Amino acid sequence: MSYYKKLKTELTGAADAGIITAEQADRVWERSYADRPFASFKAAHLIAAVSGLFIALGLILVVSYNWDKIGEAAKMGAFLLLFAGAAEAAIRLEDKPAAAIPLETLWFFMPALGIGLYAQIFNLSGDPVRPYLVWAALSAPLAVLSKRPLAAYFCSILLFAVLYWGTLGSTNMLSLTAGRGAAAQPFWHWPLALIVLGSGFALYPGKPLGKPLGAGIIWLFLLLAADTAIKVRSEALLLLAGMSLAVLWLTWGSEEKESVLGPLTAWTGAVYAMTFFWHYKPGYSHGASETAPYGAMITWGAFAGALITLAIRKQPLLPEGKMEDYLAKGLLAASMLCAFLLFDANEGSAMILAVIANLILAAFGAGCIISGSKSSDEKLINRGILIITLTAVTRFVDIFGSLLKSGVAFIITGLAFAALAYFINQGRKALIGAAKK
Amino acid sequence: MTKLRIVLAAQIFFFFAWGGYLLFSKNAASPEFYLETVPVDPRDLLSGTYVALSYEVSTPQAGNCPGVLNSARNFFVKLENKGKTADTPAGTVPVYEATDCAAGSPDKEPGWVRAALRPNFPRPGASYGIERFFLNENDPRKDARSGSVIAKVKIDRRRQLVLLDLVKKYSR
Repeated sequence: MSYYKKLKTELTGAADAGIITAEQADRVWERSYADRPFASFKAAHLIAAVSGLFIALGLILVVSYNWDKIGEAAKMGAFLLLFAGAAEAAIRLEDKPAAAIPLETLWFFMPALGIGLYAQIFNLSGDPVRPYLVWAALSAPLAVLSKRPLAAYFCSILLFAVLYWGTLGSTNMLSLTAGRGAAAQPFWHWPLALIVLGSGFALYPGKPLGKPLGAGIIWLFLLLAADTAIKVRSEALLLLAGMSLAVLWLTWGSEEKESVLGPLTAWTGAVYAMTFFWHYKPGYSHGASETAPYGAMITWGAFAGALITLAIRKQPLLPEGKMEDYLAKGLLAASMLCAFLLFDANEGSAMILAVIANLILAAFGAGCIISGSKSSDEKLINRGILIITLTAVTRFVDIFGSLLKSGVAFIITGLAFAALAYFINQGRKALIGAAKK
Repeated sequence: MTKLRIVLAAQIFFFFAWGGYLLFSKNAASPEFYLETVPVDPRDLLSGTYVALSYEVSTPQAGNCPGVLNSARNFFVKLENKGKTADTPAGTVPVYEATDCAAGSPDKEPGWVRAALRPNFPRPGASYGIERFFLNENDPRKDARSGSVIAKVKIDRRRQLVLLDLVKKYSR
């Protein structure tokens, strides 16, 4: 059922139940339906769009058939005319979204089309990243000056995609990772990569910066883990860097309630991954390579930054209450400090690390449930139940996994899961019911 | 709106100037010659089907080349005709070979072309910016086997190689 059909049913139901009047239901429906995407897109527009599409497809086929016979200057001239026409139409129809949005999208992609066309006409080759950087540079002013955020989103996504692809490759002008048997990457790649990162940030539209911050933090972590000038080869330092960056993302990237999900999942996932250190065996090695001094500096810097951030900023793990705030800050700090158990680790210290990670998850889950009950936040309660269930099920399979080979163990496990699901659901319902009273 | 028109004008000017430069380079009054190729067949996201070309001159070994390839990222390669020829539909044509390399800009002596280091494993090579030849999906040269075609090229004013055509070669 579509959203509007469902809304109509809900509103009619609410009117029938006497919650709202029939007139109010109609007005809410009309307001919502008028705001739908392409609301002003009428049947005539659709027919015009389809006719335009057919003509364009026909032209493309005719041009494709005669492509080899068309001269270079004619191809370039046609492209420039098309480019200017699409952009001029986007400018003139700026106030009509149904036309302006596709035209502005076309304008954004025109430089890429031009670069591809010129490469084809003149058989150009070379650095694979360069055409995409040129495209971003040519489209950045459009992204800045356009009234709509569309081009800015496109340009920011393009820059981050190029950043990941370029810097993690080893044979292009942005490469930061060492190639197999290749010379070290030159220093000038770093400023260029940082300019791309900064531009991606700057062009991202709107205030909440959780997504670009997350993209930047994940990128930094990948560079620390890869064979770069900031490589980190100590497991303890890498874990410390990962947890510190996750805490930084969580505290700086979740100003809006809606944007907390990404960083929260990353932090919870990182703590969850730490629970598997139960199986750690010392002696894993990355070969002869050593941690780079810059990598160590960045790691310690991220750790210090995360600790300072915890002291001065509000945390988003458990948003309500003073006690909850202390608990959440303690959990975040503990998740970073755990990494110190991996310095000169043995099986014993790794097990302690895994136990602490389990306790962090359990405390976080319990904190979510209690805080959610107090503030009538159903989502928070569900989050707590989910974390505790996931941790419990993982440990169950982890500990008894080897017995699952026998059929009896399968049956017992199945029954246990069914009982667990029943009791968790009952408890969840009771908590939500209590929260609603 | 005015600012957006300035942006548009700048974009159009960029493509106009770049296109003019490329046309000028392609039609520059410099001699055309041929290079031995080793083609394969991939696809470009932006530009469509092309034949990826590797050249005999992509792994230059003569003169100072081994030393230069181990020390410089951008360098020059000397291309010369040492008597090698190929039979094509247009008759017998000269096939050039790499005879020397230099890290710095050489004198005005003809035949020197720009190259960039291509970090191949196990041996580094030279890339000239002519490693792709774009063609129609139905063009039989798309399936050209190694050694069955040669590349027609020329050197522009910036000592950059310009790829003009991919020509069928008759076996002797």
